[in-house]
Amino acid sequence: MIKVRQVAMFCLLSFMFSLLFPGRSYAYIDPGTGSYLWQLVIAGLLAASFSLKIFWRRIKAFLENYFNKRRKNGQ
Amino acid sequence: MDNKRRDPGSFRDLCGFVFYRDEVLYRQINQSYQNDYDFLVGSGLYQKLVDAGLLVSHEEVGDALAFTSGVYKVIRPQKIPFVSYPFEWSFTQLKQAALLTLQIQKIALEYGMSLKDASAYNVQFFHGQPIFVDTLSFEKYQEGRPWVAYRQFCQHFLSPLALMCYRDVRLNQLLRIYMDGIPLALTQRLLPMRTWLNIHIVMHLHFHSRMQLSSSAKPVDRTRNSFTRLSLCGLLDSLETAIQRLYWDPSGTEWAGYYEVTNYTQDAISHKKELVASFLDRLNPRMVWDLGANTGFFSRVASDRGILTVSIDSDSAAVENNFREACRKNERNILPLTLDLINPSSGLGWASEERVSLVERGPADVAMALAIIHHLAISNNVPLFRIAEFFNKLCHFLIIEFIPKHDSQIKKFFSLREDIFQDYSVESFEKAFGQFFVTQDKQKIKDSVRILYLMRNKNNFNEKTNRVCEY
Repeated sequence: MIKVRQVAMFCLLSFMFSLLFPGRSYAYIDPGTGSYLWQLVIAGLLAASFSLKIFWRRIKAFLENYFNKRRKNGQ
Repeated sequence: MDNKRRDPGSFRDLCGFVFYRDEVLYRQINQSYQNDYDFLVGSGLYQKLVDAGLLVSHEEVGDALAFTSGVYKVIRPQKIPFVSYPFEWSFTQLKQAALLTLQIQKIALEYGMSLKDASAYNVQFFHGQPIFVDTLSFEKYQEGRPWVAYRQFCQHFLSPLALMCYRDVRLNQLLRIYMDGIPLALTQRLLPMRTWLNIHIVMHLHFHSRMQLSSSAKPVDRTRNSFTRLSLCGLLDSLETAIQRLYWDPSGTEWAGYYEVTNYTQDAISHKKELVASFLDRLNPRMVWDLGANTGFFSRVASDRGILTVSIDSDSAAVENNFREACRKNERNILPLTLDLINPSSGLGWASEERVSLVERGPADVAMALAIIHHLAISNNVPLFRIAEFFNKLCHFLIIEFIPKHDSQIKKFFSLREDIFQDYSVESFEKAFGQFFVTQDKQKIKDSVRILYLMRNKNNFNEKTNRVCEY
């Protein structure tokens, strides 16, 4: 499941990359602006990915708890 | 006369700077930082970080001690006894410094603050652990804005670590040339194709770099509030995952297996250890530099006695193994660093003064030069007089081992080379070092032809007296 998510993210990133970047680069490079803009580009991706991670962790913790309780009750 | 000077490396932050008064370190906080400083302390963030051992503590002192006008407060930070730099750290040391920075940023967010810079020079090693030293790095968090320190984090931490992991561990030396971290465009060109399989490296190095190159100087609308707190948490989580997954196996370098191939017998090693211990017990130093320490076997004779020991070697694997051992055993008194005595760290940065040379960070109370003189004199052709002249600048006392030509390791060296070293002998060694040092003890190591000397420097270092030895 994690690998599928990574592949999907990679495809989305490649698509966005191809849309955003102009054909030529400018002589004056402002590295601060680039980093600022890049964070705005990936903002949605980061938020979605982090939310999924937290959600998945909570589901896992709930399920582990549930099965541990069942095992203890069974004993 | 008031003995005060500004630290030549502390000038970029208008919120404050570091200075010395009678060689004691202070930090001046300017009025422009007043709100953020009060928030740092008032919110409880400062105390939380200090209690967790993540940030240096400080004491507020009267602003009568201020260096310039415009002062809000003056603080005296906890002293770091030996300053080291990112290009001297092993792989794991740099990785721990990176993870510390991210950990502090995450905690700061919980208290409504954020780091405004993520320079590797904000971290030092203290009692075997990385610690954040720039108290003025915190600003109030404003939701909606991207992390202003992101570029610096990627250049100072992610770039060198990725290069060390995926290409060659020695690429961290690029940090000596690039004072603000390795440029992403350079890192991107050096990383191999397989890094494109790592989604975090792709995001934070490959695409990040291309975005930097493509951006023009046109103004950016910085009022857009689309970078939510959740996005920032996601960014920090992604960077942390990226750093955690980078690793390096410290083997296969020239000196990684040194102690398996030396010519010392067990008796010789034990006797040498006893002699070093007895010299250290006589001197009772506060700080020892072990030059050519390899994995720190003899450094630990000093550090196990509670003496702060800087354990220096040029081999990355040896230093990495040394640091890993220190972590495993929770050692507080040993600091392994990667430094080549043939080309030690020099003054760097603006006016060559921002980062100080190894010599300027001394003198050490005691320097140990065990099993190293032949590497300098024979392998590297440095005349004995020049070696003595250099050591003269480094320490008050010197424990040095002389290896005569008939030692089996040197005989091996000359089996393939012509012996052009007519001046390499015990007599020449004693004559060269006698011009700078006074020999106080001389002992032959059992079961070996090697000789151990204890020497006192004739130079009293009057301008910068750190002298604490009682002998």
